Amino acid sequence: MITYIARRLLFLPIVLIGVTLLVFVAMSFLSPYQLVSAYIKSPEELKNQSLDDLVRKYGLDQPVHVRYVSWVKNLLKGDLGYSVSANMSVTEAVAKRFPATIELALFAIIPVVLGGIWLGTISAKHYNRPLDHVTRTFAIIGWSLPDFVFGLILLMIFYGVLGWFPPGRLSMWADTVVLTGDFVRYTGLNTVDSLLNGRPDIFWDSVRHLIAPVITLSYLWWAYLLRITRSSMLEVMNKDYVRTARAKGLTEKVVVNRHVRRNAMIPVATVSGSMVLGLLGGVVIVETVFDYKGIGLLTATGAQQLDYTLILGTTLFYGMLLVLINLVVDVLYAVIDPRVRLE
Amino acid sequence: MVMKKLLHNPLSMIGLLLLLGFILVAIFAPWIAPTQDAYANDPYRVPRFGWGTTPEPPSPQHPMGLTQGKYDIFYGIVWGTRTAFQVGLIVTGLSCFIGVVIGSTSAYVGGKFDEVVMRFVDVFMSFPFLIAAIVITAILGRGLDKVIIALVIFRWTGYARLIRGNVLQVKQDEYIMAARAGGVSHPKILMRHILPNTIFPVLIQASMNMGSIVVTASTLSFLGLGAPEGHADWGQMISFARNWVLGTPDNSLAYWYTVVWPGLAIVLFVLSWNLIGDAFRDIMDPRIQG
Repeated sequence: MITYIARRLLFLPIVLIGVTLLVFVAMSFLSPYQLVSAYIKSPEELKNQSLDDLVRKYGLDQPVHVRYVSWVKNLLKGDLGYSVSANMSVTEAVAKRFPATIELALFAIIPVVLGGIWLGTISAKHYNRPLDHVTRTFAIIGWSLPDFVFGLILLMIFYGVLGWFPPGRLSMWADTVVLTGDFVRYTGLNTVDSLLNGRPDIFWDSVRHLIAPVITLSYLWWAYLLRITRSSMLEVMNKDYVRTARAKGLTEKVVVNRHVRRNAMIPVATVSGSMVLGLLGGVVIVETVFDYKGIGLLTATGAQQLDYTLILGTTLFYGMLLVLINLVVDVLYAVIDPRVRLE
Repeated sequence: MVMKKLLHNPLSMIGLLLLLGFILVAIFAPWIAPTQDAYANDPYRVPRFGWGTTPEPPSPQHPMGLTQGKYDIFYGIVWGTRTAFQVGLIVTGLSCFIGVVIGSTSAYVGGKFDEVVMRFVDVFMSFPFLIAAIVITAILGRGLDKVIIALVIFRWTGYARLIRGNVLQVKQDEYIMAARAGGVSHPKILMRHILPNTIFPVLIQASMNMGSIVVTASTLSFLGLGAPEGHADWGQMISFARNWVLGTPDNSLAYWYTVVWPGLAIVLFVLSWNLIGDAFRDIMDPRIQG
């Protein structure tokens, strides 16, 4: 197991180079003048120098390989340039917004994984009976409902009509409390911090703001995971060792939970990688719809205002995040399916 | 055989009927929602009726109402059907073509070449599709054509991978060996013997992806990166609706029509492809039938 993880870690730098190359190629479509903002550290630098000076200063007139190396050097220093639309450095903006997105993602992923697998199991056990048809219809509709439409409808009903789940991250009063000195930010996650500070009222307020975005972000993946679990459970149920287990006289519960589900989890682990990809993309839409100030909204506003520095910076950030998440997924995969480790 | 099964399954039957409906709307758009003379040079421009921004509820003249900017919703939806088909067909066609050419060549040539191409594909596939599309569209500049380019750049890889696997399987078959021994040239073997035996699953996959491509394209429009304002496009109509979902103080559902009609159009369009695709998958893969 340890050698497997070590081998995966060795791949990490190669993948990271791939990600930086991809972003760099995207950057090369822009003119040196557009790129200047990706290099400067603050707008102060613009005051006394002409754009041509800056282009020369940061070597933007140099050949490609020289530019790539100097750009990567900048990245290693944690320097992603200055964002005009966010009015601060990209690193700062990302660091500021990241906890919000993590909070959203955590609240989405955990119920999806547990609930999707559970519903998929039920659906497979009741194969071709009414319950199976209900979950199946739910899955197909889920697949067909774009998240920005679904989100707007939720907003219309649960905020407009019922007033239950407001947009944003916190109500005005709670935001004021959080920003004042007494409130300690341990993690940046509002739900966790409010409990640690002994403020159940703020905890409840942040949960209220999370419910609608979380549902919008995850309903599609409920449907997806449900379908995958269902079909892979059905496949395993016809295997000889399951028949043997039944013939031995084991109860249906033991057969399903111990023999079928464990083996059926392998394809589920395979798709979890693409699920993470989808969730990261979905964050952009969900945060835009609900005005939830995380990385996704940052990317969306950056794209609308054609703030290249910000888009490329956040993309790079997504890339790195993905590499790490994929590593975790791979390790989980090896835990579920021992054959992977031996390859 | 496949067609017969599709027609016997009630769900895929609904899908086929819906799709047929959309095709008819797209073809007969000029008759269903006639273009006014003032807009004759660009029928895709949604006509505006009046000044100001506030939407207006459905009326006999405007059966689905007017959305933000007084754009006619009914006209936008009817002509938006054409936009949806255009984007879906162009993106699917181009990315399928590029994927099949690169994937099958890569598998047929094999060796180092194949290895390099596939790592290249891996890098493309390891990125969140939507974010990649946002980046490319933003860098190329807004517009429907840019959206199409961005989607093609990040969509061909799936088809390349799929056909590569199929070609690798068929490559070693005896009839290929026979053709090679008979002195048939490599391009001809690929075109005449390998592709006809491997392309079918790719075409099915492509048709199943139509729905998700239209969703992604309208998502980009929703984020303000797609068609210019006023072009008939479902995603844009929903982005108009964003500002009005909360209604007025005394009636929170006052502007329901701004989101419901374009939303319904997208959902039904995607649903039709998904219903057909779902049935297709079950027919093709008997293991998961049901």
